[in-house]
Amino acid sequence: MTIDAEPAVSENSNAILELVKVHKNFGSLEVLKGIDLSVKRGSVVCVLGASGSGKSTLLRCINLLEPPDGGQILLEGRKLSEVSSADDINYVRRRVGMVFQQFNLFPHKSALENVAMAQRTVLGRSKSEAADRSEELLERVHLGDKLDEFPDRLSGGQQQRVAIARALGMDPHVMLFDEVTSALDPELVKEVLDVMRELAGEGMTMIVVTHELGFAREVADHVVFMDEGVILEEGPPAKLLEDPGEDRTKRFLGLVLEH
Amino acid sequence: MDFIVEYYFDFGLMGDEFGRVLDGFWLTLKLSIVGGILSLIWGLILAVLRQLPGRPAAPLRWLAIAYIDIFRGIPFLLILLLVSGSMAAFQSEGVIPRELGIPTWFGEGSPFWYGVISLTITYGAYMAEVYRAGIEAVPPGQTEAARSLGMSHGQSMRHVVVPQAVNKVIPPLLNDFIALMKDTSIVSILGALEVVQVGRDIQSEQFNGSGLILGAILFLIVTIPLARLVDVLIARQQGRTQRGGKPAPARGLAGGASKEGDL
Repeated sequence: MTIDAEPAVSENSNAILELVKVHKNFGSLEVLKGIDLSVKRGSVVCVLGASGSGKSTLLRCINLLEPPDGGQILLEGRKLSEVSSADDINYVRRRVGMVFQQFNLFPHKSALENVAMAQRTVLGRSKSEAADRSEELLERVHLGDKLDEFPDRLSGGQQQRVAIARALGMDPHVMLFDEVTSALDPELVKEVLDVMRELAGEGMTMIVVTHELGFAREVADHVVFMDEGVILEEGPPAKLLEDPGEDRTKRFLGLVLEH
Repeated sequence: MDFIVEYYFDFGLMGDEFGRVLDGFWLTLKLSIVGGILSLIWGLILAVLRQLPGRPAAPLRWLAIAYIDIFRGIPFLLILLLVSGSMAAFQSEGVIPRELGIPTWFGEGSPFWYGVISLTITYGAYMAEVYRAGIEAVPPGQTEAARSLGMSHGQSMRHVVVPQAVNKVIPPLLNDFIALMKDTSIVSILGALEVVQVGRDIQSEQFNGSGLILGAILFLIVTIPLARLVDVLIARQQGRTQRGGKPAPARGLAGGASKEGDL
C-alpha cells in the first residue's frame, strides 16, 4: 500500500481523525451541512441526536461507505481526497472498523469464520493464524464457547459481540459504532455495552452513535449533539449532558430520559 | 379404449424395446447434465458481470444485459439451428478448425455438442436472471459489512454475496433444470438419438406409440422427484426465515429484529 507523503496539516497532533466542513447530500437533501470534528487518539466520542440528524451518515462518511460531497477528512495525518480513490478507500478501511445496528453477520458462516474471513482475504493471514486470532477475539468478547455457532443460533447481543470481534480482527485504529444496541432487547444491551466499555478501557479510539446516555456519561471523553446535519453543541459529557447550552439539546435529552 | 391401450400401453413392446429406449434416455440425461452444469456456470458468470460496479465496467454490464435479453427472447429450436448450421458452415469455409466446427469430443457426436452449446447459450441467460434475483435479495448490509472490513467488490461477491444468493435460488435453478431437461428432446431434430427420437423411431417402425409413453415415464421418474425436492427446499427456506418463534438455545433477536441479516 502506498502511504501518502503529504505532511499532516493537523493543528492538533493528538488528533487521529479530523473532519473539516464535511458535507453530504442525498439528491437535493442536505444531510451533513459542514461538520467539523476532531477526535483524539484513544478517546471515546459519543454522538447524540434525533433520528434524521445525520449521525449515521457521519459515520458512513468517515469510512467512505458514503463518500462525502465536500470538506476534508484527515485520518492519521493523511488527507482523503474528495473523489475517494480506491487507494483512499483501502487506506481508510484498513484503519477504521465499523459495527452496524443490524449486526450484518454473514449468516452462512460460523462465528469463528465471520471473524476470520476478512483477516484471510484482506490481510492475507494464514488459516491457522486467522483462526487463532479470531478465537482470541471471540474470547475477548466473552464468546469463547460459541466459536462454531452460526448467527441464527445466537442472540442479538451475542451476534453484535461477534460483529465487534469481526471488526477488531482487522486491527483497526478507530472503531465506529452505529447505534449498535438499538436493535437489541433491553436485557441484551448491557452485554454489548460492557464489551465496548472494556474496549474503551484498553485505549481504543471510538466514535459511538448512541441513545444510551448512561454509556455516554460514563465512558465518553467527548459528547457531540447533532441536529439537522450540523453539530449543534459539543463538550465533555458532564457539561453537555447535565447542563446543555442549547434548548434543542435540552428538549432532546428530556425526551430520551423520559423514554 | 382397447385401441388406446394397445397403441400406447403395449407392455410387451415396451419390454422388447426397453434397452433401446433406455439408451436414448441415457443420452437425454447426458445432454441435461452437461448442458445443465455449463448453464449454471455461464449463468453465474453473466449475473456477476451484470453486477460489476463503476463506470469502467459499464460496457461489460451492458453486454451482459443485451446478451440476457436477446437469448431469453429467442426460441431454443432457433438457437439450435443457428449454432449447428453456422458451426458446420464456418468449418467448411475454413474459418474454424474441423474439430471445433464438427465437435466429436469424449466420444459424443456433433449433434450432442451442438445441443450442449445451444442449451448453455439459452439456459445460461435464464439462469443469469435467477442468480440476479438471488444477488439482489442479499441485504445491502451484507455488502456494507464486507466492504467495511476492507474486502473488495470481488471478494465481497465471492465470499459473502454469491454463496448466500446461490442458497436462495437453488429451487428456481432446479425448476430451470427441469425445463432444460425437457428441451433436450429438441436436439433430436439434429439426429441425436435421445429418448424422444427413439420413441418416434419405434412409432414409425411398428405403428405403436408405446415407446413414446415409455420415454415419458422415464422423464417423470426424474422430474417428479426433482419437483418434490424443489418443494422441500422452499419449505425449508420458509421455515428458516420464520424461525423467530422457535425456541433456540440462545433466545434473542435471531429471527426477529435481525431478519434483515440472516436467512
